[in-house]
Amino acid sequence: MTIGTAYTADLKEALTGDRSTRLVWLCNFEVENQWARDYPGLPAARVSTTAATVQRMEELGALLAEPTDYLLLDRPLDAGYRRYVERLGLGAPTELVTRAPAGAGGTSQAVLDSPELLDRLRQLAKDGARLMPMGNSLLEQRISQLTGLAAAVPDAAAYERVNSKIYSRRLAGELGLREVPGSCCTTVAELRAALAQGLADGGPVIVKDAYGVSGKGLLVVDSATKAERLLRMVDRRAQKTGDDAIHVVVERFLPKRFDLNYQFTIEREGKVRLDFVKEAITAGGVHLGHVMPPDLSKAQREELARAVELLGERLYQDGFFGVVGVDALLGADGLLYPVLEINARLNMSSYQGRVTERFLGPGGTALARHYPLRLAEPVSFEQVADALGDLADPPAGGTGLALTCFGTLNAQSSAAEPFDGRLYALLFAADREQLGLLDDRVARALARLSTPEGTP
Amino acid sequence: MERASVISAIEQALSEVLERPVSGLTEEIRLFEDLHLDSTSILELLMALEDAVDLSVDPEELDMDDFQSVGSLAGYVLSQQAATSGR
Repeated sequence: MTIGTAYTADLKEALTGDRSTRLVWLCNFEVENQWARDYPGLPAARVSTTAATVQRMEELGALLAEPTDYLLLDRPLDAGYRRYVERLGLGAPTELVTRAPAGAGGTSQAVLDSPELLDRLRQLAKDGARLMPMGNSLLEQRISQLTGLAAAVPDAAAYERVNSKIYSRRLAGELGLREVPGSCCTTVAELRAALAQGLADGGPVIVKDAYGVSGKGLLVVDSATKAERLLRMVDRRAQKTGDDAIHVVVERFLPKRFDLNYQFTIEREGKVRLDFVKEAITAGGVHLGHVMPPDLSKAQREELARAVELLGERLYQDGFFGVVGVDALLGADGLLYPVLEINARLNMSSYQGRVTERFLGPGGTALARHYPLRLAEPVSFEQVADALGDLADPPAGGTGLALTCFGTLNAQSSAAEPFDGRLYALLFAADREQLGLLDDRVARALARLSTPEGTP
Repeated sequence: MERASVISAIEQALSEVLERPVSGLTEEIRLFEDLHLDSTSILELLMALEDAVDLSVDPEELDMDDFQSVGSLAGYVLSQQAATSGR
């Protein structure tokens, strides 16, 4: 049985004007790498420790897509997990799987390399379906061009324009929103000046790539020695390439109560609505997840709502519509910093919208997090369900656990064992205390699957 | 530079990056899977190693293979030093 939810239908209406538009979802995590091509950032080794895990995160789309939709994947969902998704009562989309697993170009390139899949997309285009990428880049645009499957979102140029952290900072300044002290840099000389200024002001500072994503492309600089090390490296690169470009922002580290993440949607006609606000939970400085509702005063909520209006209006003027996630911060001084960075694309939180609507009780709380597991060998969905026992049952009465991504658990299994896996989940409970207890129960149950680890 | 000295320099650089004492490293220890380095800490590690062993590294020329383990990183450092002194 599928239980009706409005979250995804609302999004379809905002983007296409029609609640029943059939979407072909393409959850291209780290689309930033495409937008970043012409904007060199911090020096980076060509290593990706989490590429296989991030690739599997596209499966998060299974809970956002409606049963009448399609989900592009580079390998099928695990059959056990798919049955679980159906048991949650949300239905599951039709899977459209590429000819071969994705390489460096992700699922988008794998779609382009799958002629029979492109034919299928041409047929879906004729039937009125639309392409729904997490964010649009030249790769997804190419799929639209080749198949006639029009995107339900703005073009790649609009996405690239509004997703730079330099754009975020400039916008906050222009709109008079409280800014984190710092500066935008596009050359090595500007970086040198910004680091000197930041350290003179008492540091530490954080250097972030204009198009960095999920904890990558950032560096904390807390001493003149470290600043010199970085400048030496980027100077060498500039000399070698004859180009002194470096696109980063340098910002002061602010003492904080907590980080915030909020999402709003800009309709195709420009109307803006706030979707939700979440509070980041950390333990000992380690990010654990997001909880909602956040612990904000009425005045702080109103200040956020005002920021959403201003940002939405301006992004729309700059050619963008659709889902916008914003990272913000509540300072230790109680001041709200409403724009740390704008992520004008689907966010992790976006994928949780439909499940949250389905299971969050009135006045209840929800926690989104992943459980890191150290595995000696791949673990089946059935083993996970066994370890969870009755926690594997769908949430009921505003309490319980929903697993939102399973593929990430075994994604690294081709590396030598043991390997690190992640199980993504949403937890629901009546209040924060109950939520904490449920979280502990889940962590203990899953720990049975983990293998111990030595610390060199 | 002796291989053992390079390993010791890597230990020192790792202690700085991970903000905890790291000692007794063996060549088989994997940088990502066992020490949980990520792309940010790799950059910090290379910056610290440049200072420690008087080396010039271009992170963009490095491959995943160079970062498989403590041993492969030590091999990379030694080959860079040989190349530099041979110039």
